[in-house]
Amino acid sequence: MLAFIGRSAIQKIVTLFFVSIISFLIVHLAPGEPSQIDPLNPKFTQEVLERFRKEFHLDKPLHIQYLYYYRDLLTGKSVSWKDNRPVLKKIYERFKNSLWLFILGTLITWTLSFPVGIHAAIRRGGLYDRSTTFLAYLLISIPGFFFAYMLIIFVVTHFHVPVIGMETFGISSTGWYWFMDRMWHLLLPSILGAAGGIAVLSRYVRNQMLEVESQDYVRTAKAKGLSPDKVHYKHALRNALLPFVTMFGLILPGLIGGSVIIESIFSWPGMGRMAYEAILARNYPVILAVNFISAILVLVGTFISDLLYMVVDPRIRL
Amino acid sequence: MRWTLIAVPTLLIVFLLQSYLWVPSYEEQGENPERLNEFIEGSIGDAQILNPVLSADSASSGIESKVFEGLIDRDEDLRFRGRLATHWEIFEEAYFYVNNDAWIPTLGRGDAEGVIRFLRKAMETRKRRDDRVSRSLANIEKIEALPGRTFEVSKQEKGAGGESVAITIRVSAPPRIRMVLKEVDQELFDHLSELLGRDYFSSFDGARFIEVHPKGFSSNREAYGKELLPATAHNPVIVFHLRPNVKFHDGHIFDAYDVKFTYEAIMNRRNLSPRIADYEPVKAVEVLDPLTVRVVYKRLYSPALGTWGMGILPVHLLNSKALRQEAMHRGLDPDKFTLRQSQFNRRPLGCGPFRFREWKSDQYIVLDRFDDYWEGPPNYKRYTFRIVPDLLTQEMEFYAGTVDGYGVQPHQVERLSKDPAYQSFSGLSFGYTYIGYNMRREPFKDRRVRKALGMAIDVDKIITYVLYGQGEKITGPFLKQTDFYNHAIAPLPYDPEGALRLLAIAGWKKGPKGWLQKNGKRLQFTLITNQGNNLRKAILSIAQDSWRKIGIDVRTDVLEWAVFIQERVNKLDFDALILGWSMGIDPDLYQIWHSSQIHPNQLNFVAFRNEEADDLIIKIRQEYDHERQVQYCRRLHEIIAQEQPYTFLYVGKWTAILDKRIVIKEVDPEGKPRYSRIQPTKTGNYTFYFNKWIKLPEVPRFEMEG
Amino acid sequence: MIVMNQNSKPSPAEGGVLEAPKRTLFQENWNLFRKNRLAMAGLVIFVIFFIIAVGGFFLTYGRSPVFDPALVRLQEKLRPPLSKPNLETLKPEELPRLGIYLFGTDDLGRDIFSRMLQGAWVSLTVGFIAVGIAVVIGVFLGGIAGYYGSSQIPLGHLLACLLLGGGVIAIVAGRTAMGISLILFGGATAALLIRVGYAEGKRPIPKALSVLFFNLFSVDVLITGLIDIMLCFPVFFLILTVVALIPSKIHYIMIVIGLTSWMGSARFIRAEFLSLREQDFVTAAKALGVSDWRIIFRHMVPNAMSPVLVSATIGIASAILIEAGLSFLGFGDASYATWGNILSSGKDFLFDAPWLTFVPGFAVLIVVLAFNLFGEGLRDVLNPKLKERH
Repeated sequence: MLAFIGRSAIQKIVTLFFVSIISFLIVHLAPGEPSQIDPLNPKFTQEVLERFRKEFHLDKPLHIQYLYYYRDLLTGKSVSWKDNRPVLKKIYERFKNSLWLFILGTLITWTLSFPVGIHAAIRRGGLYDRSTTFLAYLLISIPGFFFAYMLIIFVVTHFHVPVIGMETFGISSTGWYWFMDRMWHLLLPSILGAAGGIAVLSRYVRNQMLEVESQDYVRTAKAKGLSPDKVHYKHALRNALLPFVTMFGLILPGLIGGSVIIESIFSWPGMGRMAYEAILARNYPVILAVNFISAILVLVGTFISDLLYMVVDPRIRL
Repeated sequence: MRWTLIAVPTLLIVFLLQSYLWVPSYEEQGENPERLNEFIEGSIGDAQILNPVLSADSASSGIESKVFEGLIDRDEDLRFRGRLATHWEIFEEAYFYVNNDAWIPTLGRGDAEGVIRFLRKAMETRKRRDDRVSRSLANIEKIEALPGRTFEVSKQEKGAGGESVAITIRVSAPPRIRMVLKEVDQELFDHLSELLGRDYFSSFDGARFIEVHPKGFSSNREAYGKELLPATAHNPVIVFHLRPNVKFHDGHIFDAYDVKFTYEAIMNRRNLSPRIADYEPVKAVEVLDPLTVRVVYKRLYSPALGTWGMGILPVHLLNSKALRQEAMHRGLDPDKFTLRQSQFNRRPLGCGPFRFREWKSDQYIVLDRFDDYWEGPPNYKRYTFRIVPDLLTQEMEFYAGTVDGYGVQPHQVERLSKDPAYQSFSGLSFGYTYIGYNMRREPFKDRRVRKALGMAIDVDKIITYVLYGQGEKITGPFLKQTDFYNHAIAPLPYDPEGALRLLAIAGWKKGPKGWLQKNGKRLQFTLITNQGNNLRKAILSIAQDSWRKIGIDVRTDVLEWAVFIQERVNKLDFDALILGWSMGIDPDLYQIWHSSQIHPNQLNFVAFRNEEADDLIIKIRQEYDHERQVQYCRRLHEIIAQEQPYTFLYVGKWTAILDKRIVIKEVDPEGKPRYSRIQPTKTGNYTFYFNKWIKLPEVPRFEMEG
Repeated sequence: MIVMNQNSKPSPAEGGVLEAPKRTLFQENWNLFRKNRLAMAGLVIFVIFFIIAVGGFFLTYGRSPVFDPALVRLQEKLRPPLSKPNLETLKPEELPRLGIYLFGTDDLGRDIFSRMLQGAWVSLTVGFIAVGIAVVIGVFLGGIAGYYGSSQIPLGHLLACLLLGGGVIAIVAGRTAMGISLILFGGATAALLIRVGYAEGKRPIPKALSVLFFNLFSVDVLITGLIDIMLCFPVFFLILTVVALIPSKIHYIMIVIGLTSWMGSARFIRAEFLSLREQDFVTAAKALGVSDWRIIFRHMVPNAMSPVLVSATIGIASAILIEAGLSFLGFGDASYATWGNILSSGKDFLFDAPWLTFVPGFAVLIVVLAFNLFGEGLRDVLNPKLKERH
């Protein structure tokens, strides 16, 4: 066990190192430079631009820039070029906003997918199964922003309530009103964020259940004359759940992933939008930091899921 | 198990859906008194840095104009009016070195005293006369001699091996004559040389009075002579008289030292201020007393006055001691800590009508009313700047009542202006869109080709169908709502036939495949523009389409902004491009149109060269008299319209939509409130009276409508 | 296309093992597939879409195409679907070919029907080329990892590759001198390795050079490492970064989508190869002295393709969606009409001209749905476990 942890830790660190190099190269080798301030602004002289380059170490060779950059990031000193604020603090601020969406989205996905998937598996081939299959594919086939606009327009024109942003603006409500207002604003974006997840996960649950239901012990249980509910929900479900435990590790990267499109549409000040705006402004420190942290989360996520796998299924020895 | 699986998501969904019942609708918001006292503005992008000295984006400057106050600003007619300054004077100090070698008509060689006596006499004798020279003389208020002096200057120069060497220049300056003028007079020395001899100023050789150490580096003596001992110098002076008892938001009283500090903050190289170029001509800012500031300029620079509309920073919060303390407090290196790093930029403090309250990046910026504002507090208690990055959702929020004003698109205005719940405004904006031709390249070297290209495009069609009528034709580079714009110039007619004739005169004839050609070469070029601007993209396809119709083989390319600017525009690697300029009110065109600005990374990328235009551009930026400036500008406008370096397309109209419940509220002397409808000023500024706006619970009825 | 080929030609290996006639496998699959009505609907829509897209290409291509998607008629902007053109203001060559604006016009008066036709072709190419690139890379790397997985990489090879790669990067970054010298060094190392390597059998490696043949890690470690690295990037974010930084041409978008989505197929192929490698027919082929490449591409790849096929079908769907998403954020290629950019530029006019949003929106929805359903049907058919039960 310890050996496995040590081995994979080293492996992950090496991977992380290469990720940092690749993302650094992608950002720096692309044509164009950080447009800190509009280069066509008549107020901006060549001299000022030069000094900006110097301030950001852009005049140094690439490998030196690389060292400077990751030194700053790892010591927490890295600052955003756009507004001179510490990158980590900025990310943390946005992370808090994305976190709500993430939690609610995950809750909706996981609570909804299981009943839908299990039901579909039990009624395999029936109308319910086919219509949920169709619905699931409909959900992953619809372009996200198209769906989002349809929903927003429907809600605003029929109910006359604000849906954009994290809360209703200009109303300094408190207590329950505040909390419910927030919930309402969370509702649409998290449903949209969860739509794809529900589709994929419910299909997965269905297939997993089908797999288990064809096992001998389930047949035995059925043959014993147990009630169908008991067979399905006690014998089959428990075993079908096993692989899902390991998926907990894999949702970790979603923490920082925030969807650019949904956040832009709902003007939700989350991670995705920050990263997107950083890309547009060529704000390298922010782009690289987001990339780096999400790489760490991916690696930690796979690590956790490997561990969980070992814990859940003692046959597996990594 | 089965029931838990079904119950949990059902409960979750029910819980989420019931939150709807708690959210206020459009109608309910109107009943909320708090909401009526707040103005919420929607914006696509966030502000970058809330410091008037450091910011360069429009979102930031919008907020800054509410938090900070400048010495002056522009009134309804775009004329200057006093804000923190109650009034100001502009005059000039002019200098010249006594040229002992020059022969002065009727006087011979003269020393300082002699020259002064000679000029005094001339002033006396020509008092009654009204020619140009006499007027210049009459303008002189005071004339005096300054004795010669010696001083040393050290400089860095490149040595033989490329290393930099410190050199010392010893200057023994001859006596100098100082004149104080009642008004700025850019032609003073031209006129004086009619008295003192044509070459009195031009034959003065500064290099004779300097010695360079070590000797080996004296090759640049001529240049140093010109730099250190200029024969003549104009030093315009502005004296501002400040308003007494104006308070910053923290209660501190504003005075002249704040003005001086703001200037120094801009000029401090470490602050990387984007406004440094505006203040570079300033020689010194002197505090005469706490309510008087004197600004002396190195040279004639008429846009100077306008730069003092810049928000004034509080020195007591940002002086070097305060910055050091902040650095220590935050555990940063105090020597590397500048204004740019200060937290002040995230929570600014000035003496404007609104005080800063809170800024959440990419969410909102909240300002509160400043009750001690010198002009009386605004009606709104709060101003919120809200970031909604998507145009369509901005509109949805407007309907839902949680945005009061937003950058509404032309096609939306058409629909919304019919809605009885809203009032709409429009006016000309400060900028124009054009097609620029790279005149270094064929076929654009030929004026006729440029003109023909312009004639082939139906600008009216663009305005009607692309801008939905929200634009006006423009013929030159000045703001249409100012006097500088020459309304006598007729726009190019839309005349494809005429364009073809003009091209035929220039040698371009239809070839076998229907393309225009000359000497077997097709008339072919690439028209580019940047990504992310739909109007420009639309114009791109229209221009391509109309030019193709008359047989010009036009390719198009839409490039990402950074690539567009850095790889194509800055490197002068383009044939023709569609771009826009946003203009200041000041008519200074030096950077965009002067022939010295045609190199890479400069703004005259189309390579416009015209001697008369160059001369006018210089005159305009040196002229302090409005009427004369207007004359020069109109002539310059004529030249540019004739040369057609750009096809000037249109100046867009801004449009704005407000809820009809927002009105102007004034309180008459008896304390009774009076409401009136919001009207834009003559120059089209509808937010001019923003401080008097307020939102009412329901749409008011104005009985007396004119 | 790829899909159909693979299905219609059952692999020789399976055919060889089974004693039944060769066609039956395909027929069996086809019968199975036909039972799945959703998947059949998907296939039908897919075929229709394919025909429309190819037709769209021919009808909208060239200088004066039958349907001109770029023809601007400003006076006819925002006309609703099925509306008749205004005959007085249009020149004869500007009239819509069908006599009416079948799907209406956009804000520049361009005919949406023509644009949808062109967009169908572009969307199809985006999907196929992006997925094609991903599958080729995936099969290649996955195949190498699965087949040669246990062979070791000597230090020298790695060194040579790093030097050459570094040189190319340096040249791209504008440091030509450094790049060329790196490439020269890399080339020299490679030449040395080849010389010494070929002589390996005949005489022992010189002591001084033996360090170059020090085994570092296996091919498998290298390739799975590469996959892990790629998986560390959030895909959409990575695509966005690259597309935002390079000029947005439709080719680049296809390539970038392809380069960032090969990991799935590489993994599938590797896993399949690991099990296939141990199978009798491979051992037999080896014993017969069949070359490695022939074994891989003739015998193993066809047997390992089915999961890749399924993921490719679904990949095409997601590539179309990604392109739409990029267009929405303003990174599409404006010189072509794609369904994504018709949709995203139409959304500004949602209240004035809803057809600009709904026509492409539902078109994307239907086509992507068709691909997904078809892919799902394929998965069911090709999954041996599920097959047993029928």
